[in-house]
Amino acid sequence: MRPSFFHHLHPPTIPALQARLRYTLGAGGLAIFLTLVTGLTGALEMFFYVPTPEQAGLSIQQLTFLVPFGWLVRNLHYWSAQLLVIASILHLLRVVFTGAYGRPRRFNYLLGLGLLVLLLLFDFTGYGLRWDEGVRWALVTGTNLVRSVPLLGEPLYALIVGGEQPGAAMLTRFYAWHIFGLTLLVLILGIWHLFRIRRDGGIAVPPPELRNNHERITRFELVRREVLAMLIGGAALLLFAIFVPAPLAAPITEMNAAGGEPRAPWFFLWVQQMLAWGSPFFFGVAIPLGILLILVLIPYILPNPKRAELGRWFPPSGRAAQIITVALTLLIIGLTLAKALVESP
Amino acid sequence: MTLRRWIFAASLLLLLALLAAGWQESRRVQAVALTPTLTSEVEYCLSCHADLPEISPSHPIETFGCVLCHGGERLALDADLAHSTMRGGRNPSEFSVVEASCGGEQCHSGSPELNRDHIQRATTSIQSTYAGAIASIRYTFGAQSDLTPRYGVSAVQDKTVISSKAVPELLAFDSTNESSPWIQKFGENCLDCHLSAQPREGDTYARLSGCAACHTPTAGLDIAPGETQLHRLSTAINYSQCNTCHNRGNYDLRSMTFTERTDQPADRLHDYYQPIAQFVRCEWTLDCIDCHTRSEAMGDGDLYGSKKDIQYTQCRTCHGTPDELPLTYTITSLEDLALRQAFLNPVIDLKVGDTILMTEKGEPLWNIRPLEDGTYELFAKASGQRFIFRPVMSSGCLQNPEEQASSACHQCHAVER
Repeated sequence: MRPSFFHHLHPPTIPALQARLRYTLGAGGLAIFLTLVTGLTGALEMFFYVPTPEQAGLSIQQLTFLVPFGWLVRNLHYWSAQLLVIASILHLLRVVFTGAYGRPRRFNYLLGLGLLVLLLLFDFTGYGLRWDEGVRWALVTGTNLVRSVPLLGEPLYALIVGGEQPGAAMLTRFYAWHIFGLTLLVLILGIWHLFRIRRDGGIAVPPPELRNNHERITRFELVRREVLAMLIGGAALLLFAIFVPAPLAAPITEMNAAGGEPRAPWFFLWVQQMLAWGSPFFFGVAIPLGILLILVLIPYILPNPKRAELGRWFPPSGRAAQIITVALTLLIIGLTLAKALVESP
Repeated sequence: MTLRRWIFAASLLLLLALLAAGWQESRRVQAVALTPTLTSEVEYCLSCHADLPEISPSHPIETFGCVLCHGGERLALDADLAHSTMRGGRNPSEFSVVEASCGGEQCHSGSPELNRDHIQRATTSIQSTYAGAIASIRYTFGAQSDLTPRYGVSAVQDKTVISSKAVPELLAFDSTNESSPWIQKFGENCLDCHLSAQPREGDTYARLSGCAACHTPTAGLDIAPGETQLHRLSTAINYSQCNTCHNRGNYDLRSMTFTERTDQPADRLHDYYQPIAQFVRCEWTLDCIDCHTRSEAMGDGDLYGSKKDIQYTQCRTCHGTPDELPLTYTITSLEDLALRQAFLNPVIDLKVGDTILMTEKGEPLWNIRPLEDGTYELFAKASGQRFIFRPVMSSGCLQNPEEQASSACHQCHAVER
């Protein structure tokens, strides 16, 4: 069989050890698939979405209720974006818990963290584009957090919001970043990330001399497995999108109106929980950035896992990184649950 | 199972999911578009509400649509979202939102000269402020030294005070600030007799609130949610609508409670009115609005402290006195208020050149006109029934022309109850 374009995106053969679902969880591949779905459905949404405060909410209603299959496109976009956050975090946890962040993959680990940050920015700007009552609190609070940064706060706020309060200027900026700026950055970092996987020797496994299993699979086999994963993932996503509608509320008419539900998007609930404790800058900006910094420093400060211990979960030589990451994960999950469960009606 | 077979099975699963998407699409509500001429913005409310009757001939749906009055999300075909921004829930005429729903210069908050100031008048009327009852109770229990109204159920101001009996402003009454326990109890138990109040429980005397308290006929209807008969506005208001407030039971000043009547009144003369009161025939055969005018019911824009300050129709308004015939005037313009009122409730065929009765304040009694034989014809506003009546003049009535209050007429003309 002559390899097609899609086969050529893969190496001719890879070690079978690199393609074990129980090892990789398929999270990275799933993230690529969800990125493609999000991009495609997002492009379709652009035919209807109007990025002005007066029209944004109405154009989403138009898409959702009046355009044939518009509801499906929007639900797919929304749910693939949410699942993408989960898949990316799973991918990150897999990399840390299997010790795959060590040399020579340190730089690609940074690229991955960069992609995660871009992804959260993508989600937040997309959340803001709804411009409805359900996101008003998060828009006001999120942008006000920027103000709390010492010295840089006001210029940053002006850069992001472009006015006294979130309005037309900010919506245009969110739109431009969402559909163009962030997309471009994700393309660059994403392609770089994929390139570095191959450059760094594929998925982390011990070097050939330290392996027992020398079996290899062909690119044909690999693509078939990917197709199967995409079919199952696609069907699951589709069924989810068919039966669980993406949230939508009445368009914002007054940004500073009283009332409304004070609720952050789910991936920032943990930050919202901390905001109740005091200083917005410390809890809302410094701690999240601090957590990111800890993740960035893991491969550079902690001893890298031994090469012989690669290709398996929880290698003993990566214990410190695992403990730190488990602690951070539990902290974030705990804070999220505290906010989501305790204060929900 | 080989990988190829797995792929085949997964393809079937995906196909199934696609079929489910098509099925879900086919189940969607069929969108029914309407673009009202007043808004020029398409709305899809009729997709679900096609069975609602048109609210009134003056508000044709092709002109007004739904959203102009009700608010709501005009594009949404999801009930919760579509209804989430409706003004006043099911009743956009609630006074808290009435300006946005019914107001506007061309609608019901225009100038007094054009008789378009309905909202300004209704929200300052004593039926809305309840200022008279509040002043009287506060005076009775020593919280104020005279009967001048100081408080209403909510704060309200009147920038152009016309009558010498009116006040420029009412503060919001808060019974918890009162020291007298009686006034506190009054606040707890007796503040449900005004236009903004939700009716008491029970459907016998159920009504809506705001403008719809009077203009949406509820008497005899079940006003449970979902009742499409309630989608109606009318100026032909039956006496029973007035009775949803005005003959509903008795208050007791000793316990400061209101005891709702439990009977279902059938016979209007014997069952409805206070046993000690006297009535002449027209007071229980006609509807309230056949004699009482729009300014009496809806106020004249001033803030009063007593019903007596605004209610002025007496027997003489229609029947005149031994010395004088009732006042009349001839309609000279198409813009005349009488023609508009007759258009809204076409029980009488009025046109320019017709002569009709007029009150002493100059309000048209547009449903009454003199006949050539010296009698008068009255068309009942709610039933359309025609009545003929005579003036007092030349009738042999011996009552002193200087004492023409209705109570004097009752001395001879009250019916046996």
